[in-house]
Amino acid sequence: MILDLERFQIQAKQRWNGLESLLAMLEGRPDHKLNPAEAEQLQELYTQAAADLNRVTHGALAPELRRYLERLVARAYAELYYIPPARFSLWQWRRWLRIFTAFPETFRRQSRYFALAVLITALGGAMGGLAVRYDPASVDLLLPADYLRDPGKRVHAEEKGERRHVNSAQIEAAFSAKLITHNIEVSLLAAALGVTFGIGTALLLFENGVLLGAVAVRYAQQGFGLFAAAWLLPHGVFEIPSMLIAGQAGFYLARLLLRRREDRDMRQSMREWLVLIAGLALMLSWAGIMEAFFSQHHEPELPYAFKLAIGGAEFVLLTVYLAAIGRRKPHVPLEAK
Amino acid sequence: MTDARPIRLGTTAELTIATPEGVLFRLPLAGPACRLYAMLLDVVIVLATVNGLGLLVYWIFSKAPGFGVMVVTLAEFAIGFAYSALLEGFWNGQTIGKRLFHLRVIDQTGLPLRIEQAWVRNLMRVFDALPFAYLVGGISALSNPLMQRFGDRVAGTLVIRQTPLVAPGEEFWTRQKYNSFMDYPSIAMKLRRAATPELASLIQDALRRRNELAPYARREIYRELATYLQCEISPFPDELVEMLSDEQYLTNAAGVLFVDQRLSRVQR
Repeated sequence: MILDLERFQIQAKQRWNGLESLLAMLEGRPDHKLNPAEAEQLQELYTQAAADLNRVTHGALAPELRRYLERLVARAYAELYYIPPARFSLWQWRRWLRIFTAFPETFRRQSRYFALAVLITALGGAMGGLAVRYDPASVDLLLPADYLRDPGKRVHAEEKGERRHVNSAQIEAAFSAKLITHNIEVSLLAAALGVTFGIGTALLLFENGVLLGAVAVRYAQQGFGLFAAAWLLPHGVFEIPSMLIAGQAGFYLARLLLRRREDRDMRQSMREWLVLIAGLALMLSWAGIMEAFFSQHHEPELPYAFKLAIGGAEFVLLTVYLAAIGRRKPHVPLEAK
Repeated sequence: MTDARPIRLGTTAELTIATPEGVLFRLPLAGPACRLYAMLLDVVIVLATVNGLGLLVYWIFSKAPGFGVMVVTLAEFAIGFAYSALLEGFWNGQTIGKRLFHLRVIDQTGLPLRIEQAWVRNLMRVFDALPFAYLVGGISALSNPLMQRFGDRVAGTLVIRQTPLVAPGEEFWTRQKYNSFMDYPSIAMKLRRAATPELASLIQDALRRRNELAPYARREIYRELATYLQCEISPFPDELVEMLSDEQYLTNAAGVLFVDQRLSRVQR
């Protein structure tokens, strides 16, 4: 079929213009909502434009006209088939609060990936601890920083308050922000490394575990176990679990990408991944504040027993929060409904 | 069709969408270069915002600079991630940089992207930006037919080019009173049948950009195209071709390709 292009364009021009102005009006709306009359008009103009595009594609050599019609059809298609999300505004603070229940719910739903993260970190910890315990030569390699390798000096300096300054609250505030942003970035990387089918996530968790194990054994070996526990626990009880949750998010992403394309429920999965990230960002914000404002104060200023008690209380609260808050109903995958 | 291969215009990657009505349409994908420019512009905007905010915050916290640093560090971090995610999520797939460079992020089914997709693709930047200067993301985009970086692959999104288009108007070769090629309908028909859309649009572009080309380049391009058509596609008789300049040859060919035949016969 060979079209009389000129006549065809003259005849169709009016409806293309009509579609263009309707689309311009609809695209200006943030909520993408159509009223019935508009939907009907859009449907009609879209069908006509699509038919015109088919005729031009198969019946004429008019690359420019084809591009123009493709563009028009693409825009109309997007307006017609897009299902706008339920009204959501940045200012609906109640919906933002939903994160506090959605986070533990998601955490429990995907707990097997958390278990995997715990296992890999524990393996790393055991490796690091055993290496430091039985192979003193590995200390230099595993613990590059001086204060980690030689706890005695650091403990002495910390307890004497040598590292503290007059207006320490100021420095602590700046320090906490650095810790928060750095920790969130590392956790986010662990979660994003899921795209390497989880290999990157596993390596990061393992490395983290090795360092933790090595430090713990080194401090315990030299008799500073109590100091180290009181130093690390108040923020560590939030920091270490959030790193594990980052690993959980990474493995969850990896599992999703390993699934067949048809079996993925991307929309729901993306939400779960994002909720885990949002939750761990909140946890790390608390950990950063504790690390800067609380963990760095030692005996005689703060008794170790008190610091340990605070750490223990935090741990209990976190466990109760993650295990019990939110709905208990098991998640039913969308495809099963 | 093998004839068409040497002059095939492999300039842009495209995404083809088949609608439920059975209509196919193509969307031109954005290459890494213009995406990089748009991103650099966005970075400049974010830095300007953060620094402006920083001046204000430091002024407010002038008695307690430590808290000022805390607020600015956290704000910088949050704005860095939220800027693209929120704008793309609520502004139909565009940031300010993307809008200026005529780019748009869409779902890979051709529909607008959803808010969670905007967040996922922007949070995944921490991986795409590795080890420096978006090397991982760049390699991913170049090795993927849909030009997706890893964030796009996970979120199921892609970036398209969206330059404003107007319906094509009338071309000058449609106004030709007499086209000598039409005297040889069988050869003209052969040209119509054998010319691929790429070849046709190449001829069209060459003629349309006549005045933008340097005389030497124009002569060379027209000569090459005319020779190619004459030797490989549609050998019009030598006595006719000898009388025509290369430009006239191409104008006639465009007339054969783009002007309706019935119309031309009536004119004759």
